[in-house]
Amino acid sequence: MNLRRLFIKILLVTCMFTFSTNLFANEQEDLKAHFLEELSDIIKIIEDKQLSKDRRNSKIVAELTPMFDFKLMAKLSLGKRTWLKLSKENQKKFVTSYVERMKNSYSSKIDSYENEEIKITDVKRKKSRISLETEIATAEKNLKVVYKFYKPKKRKKDKDIWLIYDVEIIGISILKADKAQFKEFLRTKSINDLMKALAKKQTT
Amino acid sequence: MKKSKLVIFILILITFNFTSCSSQDVQTPTKDEIVHQEDVADDDFDDFEEEMEVKEIYDPFMSYNRSMTNFNDGLYENFFKPVNKGYLAITNSEVRVSINNFFKNIYFPMRFFNNILQGKFHYAFEETGRFVVNSTAGCLGFFDPAKSKMKLMPHNEDFGQTLGFYGVGPGPHIVIPLFGPSNMRDAISFFPDAAVSPIDYTDRDWPTLTKTWFELIAVKSVEKFNEVSLYSTEYEEIRKDAVDLYPYLRDLYEQKRAKEIEE
Repeated sequence: MNLRRLFIKILLVTCMFTFSTNLFANEQEDLKAHFLEELSDIIKIIEDKQLSKDRRNSKIVAELTPMFDFKLMAKLSLGKRTWLKLSKENQKKFVTSYVERMKNSYSSKIDSYENEEIKITDVKRKKSRISLETEIATAEKNLKVVYKFYKPKKRKKDKDIWLIYDVEIIGISILKADKAQFKEFLRTKSINDLMKALAKKQTT
Repeated sequence: MKKSKLVIFILILITFNFTSCSSQDVQTPTKDEIVHQEDVADDDFDDFEEEMEVKEIYDPFMSYNRSMTNFNDGLYENFFKPVNKGYLAITNSEVRVSINNFFKNIYFPMRFFNNILQGKFHYAFEETGRFVVNSTAGCLGFFDPAKSKMKLMPHNEDFGQTLGFYGVGPGPHIVIPLFGPSNMRDAISFFPDAAVSPIDYTDRDWPTLTKTWFELIAVKSVEKFNEVSLYSTEYEEIRKDAVDLYPYLRDLYEQKRAKEIEE
C-alpha cells in the first residue's frame, strides 16, 4: 500500500513537471510560429511591386506595431530617473516622437535591405524573456539580429502576448545605444531639444 | 491514506492553476485591466533597470575625439562616398564579396594566434581548415567554400579581444583618423596584429604580399575602399539614427567590442 502511494505521488509529480515544461516549450514554439507568420506577411507586402514606397512602408509599420512595445522602449531609452522627472505632457510628447523616429528608422532600413533572406537560428528563454535569434542574409553579408521579447503581466490593448522591447544587431542593443546617446545629449541640452533632434532626423 | 489524498488534491489544484494561467493569457483584457496597466506601468522599469544599464565610457579625450569624428565623417561624405559611387558602378556584388573574402583569408595568422592565445584550440583548428580549403579550392581565398560547402565557420579574434579575454579593460576611447572609433587597448593591439599580417613591406622570414610602402598603401587602399562599399549603407543608417554622431558611434563601438570579447 505504501509503495503504491509513493508510486502515485511520483507519477503525479513527473506528470506535472512534464506538463509545465511543455507549456514553456509551447510558448516558445507559438512565438516562433507567430513571428514567421508576420514575417511572411511583411515579405508579401515588400514583394507587392504595385504599392508606392510610402504606402508599402506604412503597411509594414502597421504590421509590426502589435509586436513592439514602443511605449516601453521610449521610456527605457530615457531611463527611470529622467523619465520620472518629465511632466506628464512631456512624457506623452516624448513617446510620440520616439515612436515616430523608430518607425521611420525601420522603414529606411527596409528600403536599404531588399532581397534579404531571414531565418530563425535560435530561440532562448530566460524566465519572462524570450530572445529570438535571426540571421539576415543579403548577397554581401550575414547580419545577426536578435529580437528580445518580454511578457507583460497583463496583456496590453491591441498588442501581442509577447512584445519586443529591444533589438540587438550584431551584438549591439539599439535601446542601450539610444539610452547612452540620449543621456549624453541631455547632459548639455534639454528634453525639448532632444525631441526636436528626433523630429529633424525624420525629415532628412 | 488521507494524507496522500490531500497531496493528490493539491497537485491537481496546481495543475489546474497552470492551465488557467495559460488560458488567461489568450483572453483579451477588459477595459479596466488596461487602465490599471497604464497606472502601474512605471513598475515595468524595475524589471528592466539592471538589463538596460548603460556603462559610462571613459572618455578623457572627448573634444579631440569629437573633432576627429567630424573629420572622418567629412572624409566619408566628400571623398569615400563619391569614390564609392564609382566603385559600385564598376564592380558587382560578387566581385566585392570576393575581394572581401580574399583579405579575410590572408589575415588567417592573426585569427589563428589569437584563438590559440585565448585557449580556443578547436576554433584555431577550424580556422586552419578554412585557410587550407579556401586558399586552394577557394582560388586563393576569393571564394569561401569552407563555409558554404563544409560548414567550417570563421572565428574572428584579434589581439584586442585577446587582451580583453584576460581582463584588460578598454581604456580611454580614441577616434583614429581614417579608421574611426577605437580605444587604447584596441589601438595598441594593432601592432602585434600587424606583426603577423601578411600585408607588409618590412623584412620577414615569410613571404609577404607587398614589397614597398607604396605597394602596401595601394593594397591597403583597395581593402579600405572595398570595406567602405560593403558597409556604407550601415554607416548611413547609423548617421540617421544618431541625435549626436560622436557619442553614438563611440557607444556602438564599445558595445560591439564588449560583446565580441564576451563571446
